Amino acid sequence: MNSAETASVQSAEIRTKTPFLLIAPGALWMLLFLVTPIAMMVYVSFWTQTTFKIEPILTTKSWEAFFSSDTYLAALWTTLRLWLIVLVSTLIVGYPTALFVGLFVKNKTLSTALLVLCVIPFWTSFLIRVLAWRPMLGKEGAINIILQALHITSEPIEALLFTELSVIIGMTQIYCVFMVGPIAFMLGRIDPNVIEAARDLGASFWRIFRTIIFPLSMPGVIVGAIFVSVMVLGEFATAAALSGRKVNMLGNIIVTQVGSLKWAFAAVVGVILTIVMGAVVAAFLRIVDLKREL
Amino acid sequence: MADVLRVENLAKSYAGKAALSGVTLSVASNEYVSLLGPSASGKTVLLRLIAGFEKPDHGSIHFQGTDVVNTPAHERGIGFVFQNFALFPHLTVYDNIAFGLTNRVINPMTDAHHVRDRVMAMIELVGLSGLEGRGVHQISGGQRQRVALARTLVTEPRLVLLDEPLGALDANLRMRMRGELRRIREQLGVTFLHVTGSESEALAMGDRIVVLDNGKIGQFDKPDHVFNRPISPNVARYLNCYNMFEGRLDGSVFVAGPDRFDFSNRMNSGGRPAYAIRQDLITINQSSAYANGETGLKAKYLASEYTGAAFMYFFEAADGHIIEVENHLSHRSAQTLEPGKHYQLAWKISDALVYG
Repeated sequence: MNSAETASVQSAEIRTKTPFLLIAPGALWMLLFLVTPIAMMVYVSFWTQTTFKIEPILTTKSWEAFFSSDTYLAALWTTLRLWLIVLVSTLIVGYPTALFVGLFVKNKTLSTALLVLCVIPFWTSFLIRVLAWRPMLGKEGAINIILQALHITSEPIEALLFTELSVIIGMTQIYCVFMVGPIAFMLGRIDPNVIEAARDLGASFWRIFRTIIFPLSMPGVIVGAIFVSVMVLGEFATAAALSGRKVNMLGNIIVTQVGSLKWAFAAVVGVILTIVMGAVVAAFLRIVDLKREL
Repeated sequence: MADVLRVENLAKSYAGKAALSGVTLSVASNEYVSLLGPSASGKTVLLRLIAGFEKPDHGSIHFQGTDVVNTPAHERGIGFVFQNFALFPHLTVYDNIAFGLTNRVINPMTDAHHVRDRVMAMIELVGLSGLEGRGVHQISGGQRQRVALARTLVTEPRLVLLDEPLGALDANLRMRMRGELRRIREQLGVTFLHVTGSESEALAMGDRIVVLDNGKIGQFDKPDHVFNRPISPNVARYLNCYNMFEGRLDGSVFVAGPDRFDFSNRMNSGGRPAYAIRQDLITINQSSAYANGETGLKAKYLASEYTGAAFMYFFEAADGHIIEVENHLSHRSAQTLEPGKHYQLAWKISDALVYG
């Protein structure tokens, strides 16, 4: 074998090995920190839990406990309810914002600047953003002071804080930007000529919105909905901080159970939460073929 | 013939820079008008103003006798075909074409059978039969062009504005679509206002040609008049088939640097004097004497370009500017010229046009 042949054989080897070398770090990472923990979680959910210790003896007791307890089923229901409400409220607040930023602002620099403005609250920590709602919504908080000063209300509205409403307000504010971003991105990609063509064919703005703009922004809505869903379903901090521990989501149950070393039970809730998220994401992906649209 | 469109004294500027100023023109019904202009001459702006996508700074636009300056685009009933076609990407060919009929504000069609009849007839007319169920990304560029045209024509506008409609097609398809566009227009009897940057397209397509010159109407006339008698040096330049000389008039002689040309056709265009001679009316001679009634100059031969039916020869005049000579092979045989050598270029005095 001469040197040229050796070189070509070597380069062929490198070429066949390269894809594996490229994928290896990521695959290893995912295997260690995603696949293994999920498998462990499923496994641990069938372990036997006694008050002070947990043993790898397989049993369905934790699962039975979950489905026979009103508290836990109520938490599942609260999680699903809050998820749906927050999904709708982020869409209601986020879509018009995205429509403005992505479509009505013609200047690309300005629309980028506006999107950056949406992200500014993320410069502070998540917990501070959540806790900042307390002085806003409290009995002697900013909103009540303003309402009374303007003589709109005579008594402070107590329902604003430490209720499900305050949790919804907090979550909507925190997760709205994840809805705005993808929608604004899709709207910004619509060829302005396409909208002008629809106008030229005689359609009014609302008709164009319904038949052209909204369908073309659907991939953005779906991506935004997936972002918001995954984050809201796994929430516990906002619910705890803004409801005074009155609103319990599945995430809050996990925190409590882990805190009292009930690993098997926490694992059951974890598996249920994972299944719910998987089903939600799968359902969204069925609505729009993202691979084709993006 | 009644005028479908009358534009008067139309002006539009962007950031203080005038894109159009004082444009006045009338387009008759059942007429094919092509609008020729170099890039940034304001031709797209003019179309957008007529369609209603933008508002003029001043001036009026009368469409079928009524002033439409304050009518929003979707109530004007003027068709617009975009250069990039601007098809609705999420709809099928059929739904793209049916869009205007079912979604328009004025008199929308609700009977699905009537819509279907109209759309299928239009699909037949533009030659898209069998493709109505396809997505617009599953068809070729030429077919997309037909969808864009059909989508506009099916709403039966009296006037259709076409913004470089053939610009996105390859040369072969462009030639075929020229004939198609004329055929479809004649069959429907609508007025077309077709913007193009290509002089050959403008000459071939238009019953009349508007030449836009820096936001103003340079000339508006029949193609052969525009081609043979451009009324200003700029119009002659945009036609891309004239050799232009700048200089001054000295009695019956035009002085362009060291060269002096005789002339007989003088046009009073008001601007700086210019001398124009069409590229295909020049002969290349070895001798240095002019025949009776001829004038010309000596120029250095640079290179040639074979275009199939013709040869283009490039010469450099004494003052450095390039002179192009087109030699149609059907009239004359190809000439063998030596690069760097000087030849005498001659033309009939009566063929030259003088402005000033």
